[in-house]
Amino acid sequence: MHEKTYEQRLADFEARVARGEKVEPGDWMPDEYRKNLIRMIGQHAHSEIVGQLPEGKWIPYAPGFRRKLTLIAKVQDEAGHGQLLYTAAETLGKSREEMMEELLAGKAKYANVFNYPTPTWADVGVIGWLVDTSAVINQTMLAQGSYGPYARAMKRICYEESFHIKQGYDAIVALANGTPEQRQMAQDAINRWWYPTLMMSGPPDSLSAHTQQSMRWRIKTKSNEQVRQEFVDHIVPQIRALGLDVPDKDCYHDEKTGHYHYTQPDWEELKRVVNGGGPCNAERLAARRKAHEEGRWVREALAAKRTQNPASG
Amino acid sequence: MMDTQWETYEVFHQSKRGEAHVHVGSVHAPDPEMALQLARDQFARRLKCVSLWVVRTKDITATDYQNESFFAQVTDKSYRDPKAFEAPDKNSPHES
Amino acid sequence: MSLEISPHIPRQPLLRFILSLADDELVLGHRDSEWTGHAPILEEDIALANIAQDEIGHSLVWFTLYEELTGHSPDSMAFERSWREFTCSRFVSYPIGDFAYTVVRQYLFDAAEQVRLRMLSESKSDALNEIAGKLEREEAYHLLHSQGLVERLGDATEESHRHMQAALDQAFPQALGLFESLEGEEELVRGGIFPGNRLLRDEWLEHVVPVLNEASLRPPVQRQRERWGIACRPDEGGRRGEHVKPLEKLVGDMQMVYTLAPSAKW
Repeated sequence: MHEKTYEQRLADFEARVARGEKVEPGDWMPDEYRKNLIRMIGQHAHSEIVGQLPEGKWIPYAPGFRRKLTLIAKVQDEAGHGQLLYTAAETLGKSREEMMEELLAGKAKYANVFNYPTPTWADVGVIGWLVDTSAVINQTMLAQGSYGPYARAMKRICYEESFHIKQGYDAIVALANGTPEQRQMAQDAINRWWYPTLMMSGPPDSLSAHTQQSMRWRIKTKSNEQVRQEFVDHIVPQIRALGLDVPDKDCYHDEKTGHYHYTQPDWEELKRVVNGGGPCNAERLAARRKAHEEGRWVREALAAKRTQNPASG
Repeated sequence: MMDTQWETYEVFHQSKRGEAHVHVGSVHAPDPEMALQLARDQFARRLKCVSLWVVRTKDITATDYQNESFFAQVTDKSYRDPKAFEAPDKNSPHES
Repeated sequence: MSLEISPHIPRQPLLRFILSLADDELVLGHRDSEWTGHAPILEEDIALANIAQDEIGHSLVWFTLYEELTGHSPDSMAFERSWREFTCSRFVSYPIGDFAYTVVRQYLFDAAEQVRLRMLSESKSDALNEIAGKLEREEAYHLLHSQGLVERLGDATEESHRHMQAALDQAFPQALGLFESLEGEEELVRGGIFPGNRLLRDEWLEHVVPVLNEASLRPPVQRQRERWGIACRPDEGGRRGEHVKPLEKLVGDMQMVYTLAPSAKW
């Protein structure tokens, strides 16, 4: 049996992807595919982990039993999703130790949306409603992607995300139908989170180096702009139905295209925030570093205990 | 010094008696007993579950996707397909 | 339709008893929920969040029973009462500390719960024994988890032993406050509601002391023939409303958003 050339392997790989077949761990894959996926899945995992913090901060303050329990469950899910995603990245040969190290050293990126502060209770509901809606649209698309472990993780995550959206929306509905102060709290939060949420879908594809290749290899199957448009079309009517609005005077339904026209977010700000200049970047990473350092003795002790008793199990 | 995130254990979940255990993912754990508990919290908090198995990832022996000839079927083996036989005559005394 | 208590069971002591169970679970659950995003490893973030939800869920079950007896809703009890009216032990209100303190506190609490719920599942009060039978099953899982961690961390490394012994030194006197006698307790004992805090404490000691010793941890107790000799002062007062500052902050935080508009829907 003769060895295949790189070109033959690449052709087989691309034919597999074009057929809609999944790529599994251990399959031959181009280096760029592997690297791209590790970067993407890693960022996604880091986002879930860091994402625990802006909402987790409000658990002690959640008003009422139902909101309290629901928020703990929601943040628990985020930890759970991070766990699933790190597992998917690990199948590509990157250890979780390495990924943690990179995140904490500030070398890894994560969704910039989590670098913004959550100054009020309404921010929690708006994150659940807006941010998770945007995430679901993106993740539903990724669940059709070519890499088996990532697609499977996405399916599981999407199922739980619908709970996240509903609990966030429910919390905002209560505010929108409440006292004038509650209503204003909800509107202020939407004003703050609108553009950061739009930025979540990524820069317009003419600005993104990764998109073309990602689409050919079905790492993504829609462009950033398509995903963002889908989000806007879906969420604006919902917001306006509550008597609230988006902070964009040019957001209107275009009869001709059937889509909502909207103002692009400030992409220079994204660059600044992603590269460490956001209001909470330092605080979020510091919290994660602290948790990691203070927990070191626990991880080491439990690992050491296993070595003492390798016979059990 | 690189920190430890513990070893990984693959998790198999049985949703009810009579069903097969299905692979649902993995957990990082310091030992098998803790792996069961951590798997319960991660994989059975919503899904109904009657049994969980955990196996160290290292202990799984798997085929290599790239070795496709491991699963190659090239000779005609339709003789073992029940459809390869003619249906018996309904009026035949040998009808079971 | 409100639940009726049989006339031979004294109402006030029973209500106070139920409230102490509800308050302990609520406050400890609140503390446990503070770990989400800060635990030593991702899998423990998930595990602690599970325990927190269970405990707050248990407090809701007790508060719901309380509502059936008094008409006061769980939200009004948790989010409108003054911190001075809470009847939780001081133990559960202390800050989370480091992971060792949290694990030791959880274990000591879970072991007490196991004994208490078992005793309550034999209570003459149908309402109590039914609830206890239900909650026992989730608590068994908590005990499995916390005891497992104590057994492992107690003597795994020199460093873990140090953390765990220090945590035990701090937590043990506080844990004894779980067994502080309640006002009117003798009437509850006579009515067959539960066998009393002294018995509860002694059974708890039978369980935890060997487990701690096995993990190379030394609680300040000595077995003296038929009795337990305790070499520390219990940190009591919670059941009488004599709380510590951390509870004031905890309740203030917990009620902060709710009290912005207390009659509103959140």
